[in-house]
Amino acid sequence: MDLRFTDAQVAFRDEVRAWLASNLTRPFREEVRDPAHDADSLVEVRRQWQRKLQAAGYLAMGWPEEWGGRGVGEVENAILEAELARADAPQVPNFLGISLLGPALIHHGSEEQRRRFIPKMLSCEEIWCQGFSEPGSGSDLASLRTRAEPDGDHYRITGQKVWTTFGPWANWIFVLARTDMEDRYGGISFFLVPIEQDGVEVRPIKQISGESEFGEVFFDGALARREHIVGELGEGWRVAMTLLGYERGAAALRYPAEYDTFLDGMVQALRESGDAERPEVRARLGQLVVENEVLRANGLRTLANLAAGNAPGPESSIEKIGWSEYAQRLTDTALDLLGPQAQLVATDPHARPELDWAYQYMWARAGTIYSGSSEIQRNIIAKRVLRMPTKR
Amino acid sequence: MQFDLDEDRALLKSSTRELLENESPVAEARAIMETSPEGYDRALYAQLGELGYPGLLLSEDAGGMGALAFAAVMHEMGRVAFPGPFLDLAVAVAAISACEGDEARKWQERAAAGELVVLARSESRASLDPCPPATRFEDGHVRGTKTFVPSGAHAEALLVETTGGLVLVPRPESGWDAQPLVTLDHAQRFAEIRLDHPGVLLAEGAAAVALLARSQVHGALGAAACLLGLMERALELAVDYTREREAFGAPLASFQALQHRAADMLARTESSRSAVYRAGWALEHDEPDADYLVSVAKAYAGPAARAVCGECIQFHGGVGYTWEYDPHLYLKRTKTLEQQHGTTAWHEQRALDGRPA
Repeated sequence: MDLRFTDAQVAFRDEVRAWLASNLTRPFREEVRDPAHDADSLVEVRRQWQRKLQAAGYLAMGWPEEWGGRGVGEVENAILEAELARADAPQVPNFLGISLLGPALIHHGSEEQRRRFIPKMLSCEEIWCQGFSEPGSGSDLASLRTRAEPDGDHYRITGQKVWTTFGPWANWIFVLARTDMEDRYGGISFFLVPIEQDGVEVRPIKQISGESEFGEVFFDGALARREHIVGELGEGWRVAMTLLGYERGAAALRYPAEYDTFLDGMVQALRESGDAERPEVRARLGQLVVENEVLRANGLRTLANLAAGNAPGPESSIEKIGWSEYAQRLTDTALDLLGPQAQLVATDPHARPELDWAYQYMWARAGTIYSGSSEIQRNIIAKRVLRMPTKR
Repeated sequence: MQFDLDEDRALLKSSTRELLENESPVAEARAIMETSPEGYDRALYAQLGELGYPGLLLSEDAGGMGALAFAAVMHEMGRVAFPGPFLDLAVAVAAISACEGDEARKWQERAAAGELVVLARSESRASLDPCPPATRFEDGHVRGTKTFVPSGAHAEALLVETTGGLVLVPRPESGWDAQPLVTLDHAQRFAEIRLDHPGVLLAEGAAAVALLARSQVHGALGAAACLLGLMERALELAVDYTREREAFGAPLASFQALQHRAADMLARTESSRSAVYRAGWALEHDEPDADYLVSVAKAYAGPAARAVCGECIQFHGGVGYTWEYDPHLYLKRTKTLEQQHGTTAWHEQRALDGRPA
């Protein structure tokens, strides 16, 4: 057993930390508070940040050098993610392209597809969004009904996708669509579809936070080129399932690092108000510190297993439940202990400076729903790990 | 990086499981706890002594294997709800080993061979968390009352925390002036002991404080690892039972109401595993955050085990509330360990204050 980073990994962490100290001019929470910004200009901040990361070699680091990466392992990736969270760096606009589609193209795509799409994805010239969920197919994704019918060199896509993160700003969407209505899994294919065409309409969805980062996407005979199918026809489900397994370790240390900044912010605010030493406050803080450290222990274990070349176990479902449900307890407690001031939205001049508590409180509600809801994760654990039988 | 135990420790863990399953299966342990005055198998403790178990916490040079191996063994003892004061004995051996003098060497040897020596610290039945003692040590004589001393009535010697430092008191010829404290866990026998005896000073001042702090960390790691074993086995019992038991024409295990709760039990168990072994590894390698990580492990594993072992009874339905079925043994030991070696609240506060920058 060995949970230490190597000297080289420690040096890498220090290098990233130093780079962030001189290159991240403002934490993202301060950008959000800036009244000069609107939703579009915040996306521009994120686009510039992606380019900065790319120029410094910190984007898509796990990819092969041929495709713009450094070919580094899971541990280095996890270290980078943790440092970005610690510094409150903006999330890059193309995070779905880089974490999901890029690896899918590298593993399953054609040489042509890689050359056409990867450079512009990395430079943020093209922003990608994901078209998986549908109004009638959320957790039960394989029941999706969007269909694609051949039409010469093209397919025509008809149907509706929803919860499309970054849809309102994206130029391209990767879509799961049915090429066979009968075959539940083998009838699904993976298409790359340009958004700027007549058959595609994106409508923003207003979220509980008031912003519209999600959208719904309507396809009405939208055209996708035949050579823009990733993998073979009917292999879409397999491609989609493998891409959910990429960069499994990337989040291992990110959430605990992010929650450390929340805990630091809470302690700072409570010191200012003179409440930090009250026993009932300390009791709740102590419990949150313990739980976050256990999240980090789980993350280190995942990383260690990946680094040792072991097949990933049930850890990913346990981690997903862990960080998403913890975020709710953490932000619930913050809004309790900090009082009504923590409900002030970021642009209110009286809002607490250390964190956008109101936003985080609402955003924590999304975490237990997206990427496989808590209920789906518990089904996975019960069936695949504990081998509990399905009811007939 | 590597999470798995190395070959030596993995072998120790698997051979300990084999030993305990052969020598102390739950059925046999129940018989002993119900009939013997000590509540545990003295011959088996002697055998553990011959095999070197009580000295596990010592470094390899001193005949032990270190904190990680100790955690692995306590994990296995939790799985069988192993009766008696093994954890307290192992902590005591490590404490004596840090003391100077012939008397310390003599008792270290005897305790390492399985003779019962335990720490006597608590003086309040309301809390076993560390607290300045009222028991005095003057002119070579210990005076005071210690409570919740683990297997105290049967100890060959006590390591007593006093105002003057840590003092070794051998069992008087007439025996201890001990009152048994009968608790809900019949495999843990506590005693309240009135002390008015000559003793040997083992450590005083800052050295005694440091030594007792170290013992507290050892105890907390062992308790956390034991809690991991308790909940791991309780989860197995619960899920196995629901696979066999049918209701409304289907195995209970096929009902989602139980599946999701079983998933939570697994999440708690696996999270405890991550925290316990990380803490054991950190302590063994003298990592700067080791004490903090041990507090994290103990603070997490206590409530986690209580939740899992409580659910284990609920999953069993009516038979879960019977003496005959095993789930109660796991819930009871969990409650005992939650209160010992630092409560959840005590360790949460330590974690809050010890959080690395």
